[in-house]
Amino acid sequence: MASNAAVPFWRAAGMTYITYSNICATMVRNCLKEPYRTEALSREKVHYSVSKWVDGNPEKPSIRSDTSQE
Amino acid sequence: MAMAAFVRRGRRIAAASSLISSQPAVTVRSSLIPEEQAPLGVRYVSTQVVRNRMKSIKNIQKITKAMKMVAASKLRAIQTKAENSRGLWQPFVALLGDFPSVDVKKNVIVTISSDKGLCGGINSTSVKISRAVYKLTSGPENENKYVLLGEKAKAQLIRDSKKDIELSFTELQRNPLNYTQVSVLADDILKNVEFDALRIIFNKFKSVVSFLPSVATVLSPEVVERESEGGKLGGLDSYEIEGGETKGEILQNLSEFQFSCILFNAVMENACSEQGARMSAMDSSSRNAGEMLDRLTLAYNRTRQATITTELIEIISGKSALEG
Repeated sequence: MASNAAVPFWRAAGMTYITYSNICATMVRNCLKEPYRTEALSREKVHYSVSKWVDGNPEKPSIRSDTSQE
Repeated sequence: MAMAAFVRRGRRIAAASSLISSQPAVTVRSSLIPEEQAPLGVRYVSTQVVRNRMKSIKNIQKITKAMKMVAASKLRAIQTKAENSRGLWQPFVALLGDFPSVDVKKNVIVTISSDKGLCGGINSTSVKISRAVYKLTSGPENENKYVLLGEKAKAQLIRDSKKDIELSFTELQRNPLNYTQVSVLADDILKNVEFDALRIIFNKFKSVVSFLPSVATVLSPEVVERESEGGKLGGLDSYEIEGGETKGEILQNLSEFQFSCILFNAVMENACSEQGARMSAMDSSSRNAGEMLDRLTLAYNRTRQATITTELIEIISGKSALEG
């Protein structure tokens, strides 16, 4: 694994490629004009509830509900 | 489920009527008392009871018919999206391949299921395949973990594989499914779980009546690098890398994006399969309700006519006794 090449700024900041591409997508969607913009932003809604399991027991679930990724 | 409750109630009525008298004398040919003999002194099952059963079965039939229509309309909406999402993973499989037989130490099995029930057997088949994949990939130094999407898989796997569950996600379908949601989920999985290979188990939507349980394999970038240097992905090195990034960099980006795309497709296909399975389950349930209704109507009419005939006979014989 090459570590002599500089990692891109977003990976150095701890983001994965997925997070990076989602942010870019949000920016592109924000460039649209009005009626299409609300439609497109409605395609970005996120809602789910995740719970990590430790030793066979689920912890309290935490809900991730963003309207769009910032 | 509801049908079984009706059969049980039928037997309970027969049992109750057999408690009244302990001398079984007459065999009543009625679909409500199939095996036991009706005791002496009890005429027939009251028509009121049969009427109530018929009314509730008719309501259930209406509800299941409505559920079938709802599932059909939801299916139409998701189906085009799912078919379009197939274009996302096909280039990845062409480039990086899909090798379920790769030999890795840490396997994470991502099982996709639904949150709601009444959708036939698709969740049980997904869980069955997950368990089989677990067995297949377990070995002396291998470590397998589960990541569960959906309530139904959690409910089934909690019984015997509690220790191996790493993460569980629910309430996925609150908003209509979109790529952003699935990619945030994928991100969560990537951040919290260490893996060498991810095996995603879902039901592929072949048609409204056929769902194929499938396994998609996504390898971590390290394993891809290992395989490309003389393993199964040997052809990868023949690609030239442009730009300032190294091969390891690119493989890492590609692998994350691949996981997100494949997971998106898997979630959409599973959603389609869920709606399709619900359609056929509700359809067969309405048909069964219709058949039960027919049988009960016949029994009801027979009972009604028998009571009327008995009353007539009593009246006429009483009259002739008075005259004679």
